[in-house]
Amino acid sequence: MTSWRKWLAVVPTAALVLTACGGTEQAAEEPTDEPTAEEPAEPVEEEPAEEEPAEEEPAEGDEGEEIARADADLVIWADDTRAPILEPLAEEFGQAEGISVAVQEVPFDQIRDLVSVQGPAGQGPDVFIGAHDWLGELAENGVVEPLDLGGAEGEYLDVAVQAFNYDGTNYGLPYSIENIALVRNTELAPEPAETLEDMVEVGLAAVEAGDADLPVAWQQDPGDPFHNYWVVTGAGGYVFGQDDAGSYDADDVGIDSEGGLRAAEIFGELADQGVVNSDVTYDVMIDTFGSGRAPFAITGPWALGDFGDVDFEVEPLPQVDGNDPGPFVGVQGVMVSAFAENSLAATTFVLDYLGQEEVQLELYEAGGRPPALVSAFESVQDDPVIAGFGAAGETGRPMPAIPEMGAVWEAWTAAYQNIFSGNDPEAAFQEAADQIRTAIDAG
Amino acid sequence: MSTQQTAGRGAGTAPRPAGGPNGRRPARESFADRLAARLGSNSLIGLFGKLVFLGVVNGMGLYAVSTLLPARAWTPLAVVLIATIAIDVVYLSKRTLPLKFLIPGTIALLVFQVYPVLYTAYIGFTNYGTGNVLTQEQAVGRILATSTRVPEDATRFRSTPLVDDADGTLALLLTDPDGDVFLGTEAGLEPLTDADVAGEGRDITVRERFRPLTLGEAQQREDEVLAFSVPITDADAADLEEGAAADAITVQTFTTAAVSVTALEYDEGTGTILDTTTGLVYEPVMGTYTAEDGSTLRPGFRDVVGFTNYQQVLTSPAIRGPFLRVFVWTFAFAFLSMLTTFVMGLALAMALNDPRIKGRRFTRSLLIIPYALPSFMTALIWRGLLNQSFGPINRMFDWSVPWLSSQAFAGALPKFSILLVNLWLGFGYMFLINTGALQAIPSDLTEAARVDGASGWQAFRNVTLPLLLVAVGPLLIASFAFNFNNFNVVYLLTGGGPPIGGTPTPAGHTDILISYSYRLAFESGRGQDFGLAAAVSSIIFVLVAVFSYIGFKRTAVLEEIN
Repeated sequence: MTSWRKWLAVVPTAALVLTACGGTEQAAEEPTDEPTAEEPAEPVEEEPAEEEPAEEEPAEGDEGEEIARADADLVIWADDTRAPILEPLAEEFGQAEGISVAVQEVPFDQIRDLVSVQGPAGQGPDVFIGAHDWLGELAENGVVEPLDLGGAEGEYLDVAVQAFNYDGTNYGLPYSIENIALVRNTELAPEPAETLEDMVEVGLAAVEAGDADLPVAWQQDPGDPFHNYWVVTGAGGYVFGQDDAGSYDADDVGIDSEGGLRAAEIFGELADQGVVNSDVTYDVMIDTFGSGRAPFAITGPWALGDFGDVDFEVEPLPQVDGNDPGPFVGVQGVMVSAFAENSLAATTFVLDYLGQEEVQLELYEAGGRPPALVSAFESVQDDPVIAGFGAAGETGRPMPAIPEMGAVWEAWTAAYQNIFSGNDPEAAFQEAADQIRTAIDAG
Repeated sequence: MSTQQTAGRGAGTAPRPAGGPNGRRPARESFADRLAARLGSNSLIGLFGKLVFLGVVNGMGLYAVSTLLPARAWTPLAVVLIATIAIDVVYLSKRTLPLKFLIPGTIALLVFQVYPVLYTAYIGFTNYGTGNVLTQEQAVGRILATSTRVPEDATRFRSTPLVDDADGTLALLLTDPDGDVFLGTEAGLEPLTDADVAGEGRDITVRERFRPLTLGEAQQREDEVLAFSVPITDADAADLEEGAAADAITVQTFTTAAVSVTALEYDEGTGTILDTTTGLVYEPVMGTYTAEDGSTLRPGFRDVVGFTNYQQVLTSPAIRGPFLRVFVWTFAFAFLSMLTTFVMGLALAMALNDPRIKGRRFTRSLLIIPYALPSFMTALIWRGLLNQSFGPINRMFDWSVPWLSSQAFAGALPKFSILLVNLWLGFGYMFLINTGALQAIPSDLTEAARVDGASGWQAFRNVTLPLLLVAVGPLLIASFAFNFNNFNVVYLLTGGGPPIGGTPTPAGHTDILISYSYRLAFESGRGQDFGLAAAVSSIIFVLVAVFSYIGFKRTAVLEEIN
């Protein structure tokens, strides 16, 4: 019996064709290396002919996994940290209102795509938890429902409200913010770094003295616009212009503005001094700071768990050219699907129920991020780590949610890589800005 | 399965049911056997087995139909139906029975290869991507739904939806910010006095007619509740200090309502959308509702846009810029990957084919390890190994070689690194197939050549290699085609980098066509563009198909020589 071997030959061939022609996204997961490309039309045994048609079902083609909508009146999608907290709350809400409620655990990075693909097909959630920078795509696709905060805007941090405002409309109830800060090893750097120069000086001295491997554990690999943005804003640059309500304007690219070019110059100097380079990956950053071999790290709350027993303080990022730096701030919130089967219950649950202070505090305890509700935010300030990240985020800017941001990451990453390899810093930023404008015009 | 295995036995007990020279069947044949023969079986047991098999097939088909039909998955439904009927027809007629050897493979071919190719080609002609994921009908629904807006500074009410149990009429109990209470009905807004309201909370009754709706009930009549609006007159609007544009109070959540404005109207007849405040008419153009002045409504919908995507790939200066460099490198990468892995695999296979080498089985197993490990893991490990400052390779020798980031000589070093890693990943496969092919070449042929005075090299060059190429030639073409699209290695090892300077779109020295189109379609511009990605994929498919065809032609020539 060799028929199963033939099947083995058919499967990778089919996979090859699928990756070659279908979604290129699949290629990232494609594990086969060299396919055994046999004749695909080879005759095979009778039995298995039945199953394949049913498997062809995902008509949208690209998403590998489908998550079936639970059978309930109100379906909530959340990731594994938030789902367990929402579960009892949702249960309580359902009982009080006489409807059935289900909380489904869906991996965070899949929620956005699944809402876009499964929502219109009636297989999506009513309510889901997500990051504000998904908004551009979700709103452009018309799969997220506008939410009227009903005058409660003032109860939330400004940056959080701005973040969920896309094109003049609010789309979500914010519940937590997250941003990077300066994490300082108190042994190697006993004094807080007030300015960028202070930080570099202390860092380089520690490397000189052999106490550290890196002056600053500052993730790049090969360039990292997210972890570098605070320097850009400190130098007076910006990525896109903002209007009064905080909405970003894709026609106003600020990477090659005066402040942006000044930031490029600073990065050129930092690269010359060996403070930043393309080789520091997230793992290297964790490794060096976590083993006490770097006086500073520039990172967010997600990394703290891996820092082991290093004694550290979380502080606002140092000033650049005498200005307060503004890192990107990400905001998590609860959104309602435009294809909710039960949008009345969904909006009621989100606005009337999740907006309460106790709920925000419970979500905070699970996620360890500063809450977005001002009263909750203030009540957690006795935790120095949260207070540190909160203080660092106070001068922050919401990460732009406009889809044009897609063009920024690529081009700007390349620009940083060019600077770190010794090319002219200002020309690198200029080129990135040109590429971004070209990409936006073409789209 | 069943028919073949029982053939012998059938022939022994009953005469084969074939007609004699004059077409007459022997008379003693029973009715059952004749029936079995007519249905293409040699015996009753064969027939029974076949019926069980067909029963299972049809049962599964029915089950699939019962799940696909409610899901309105028409394409898979058609595939299941056609496949099931085809299997029934083939097995129930003696004439078509030989087709049973073809049918499963044909179905697999259609489902796994032809359908994805056609579907991809179709997507290449649409604007499917961020901003255009909905159907036209859904998009219109969303545009109209979001056109009811609550203006800033609009009056917001505490609201309780009410119901009249007698006839099911809906109403709203509204409390404005000043604490005044109103009853909102389809007729309009009426002020209420304390005498009109009795009870509290859930037990409240209004004018002895309405009681509060529960959320569960509201959900039953969701569309009605959401569409329920209380018209307000100009006098009401003046009382509430609203602007002139306010036209209704609508439900926001179960406990709130607000004065809102509806701006857009859909015209069924012309299929256009009218903005009542500005008078603009929006017409559907290439998947977007567009007005004469160029303003558009969101969201757009999926629509066929003809050759727009292909035109963009081939003519847009933003894409055309680095396209040629990427194109040339893609060929070089695919060809060199194929060549280096083949040469190394063959050399090792030859060496380990020599009986004088001890522990050949063990060594062979070791050599297959790189091939057996998933490449998306090993590529990332190599990325770490080759890291300039922290990579073990540079540290071991105390070097500082920018393996993956040097921009000198058009990124020659990263290109070399990628070929090297791909050699490591791919030689195991070539080793495997060459070992197999070598063992199939009779050793007396080479011995005869040696006896005739040929040197070892000549024997290899003129006898072994041609024979080997006949066997592995098609696999080399497959390897070329695979590496042409080897997204994993490039994306995971260098991400396409280091960047090429001065290009209108970001492109890297090690980008191949598939990784470059991934950048274009998913990482630049405005979100994801499946239409563009599908167009590029179709172009790549045609290229690979053409080169594979030429390659197969050439190996066919090789075969004739032998």
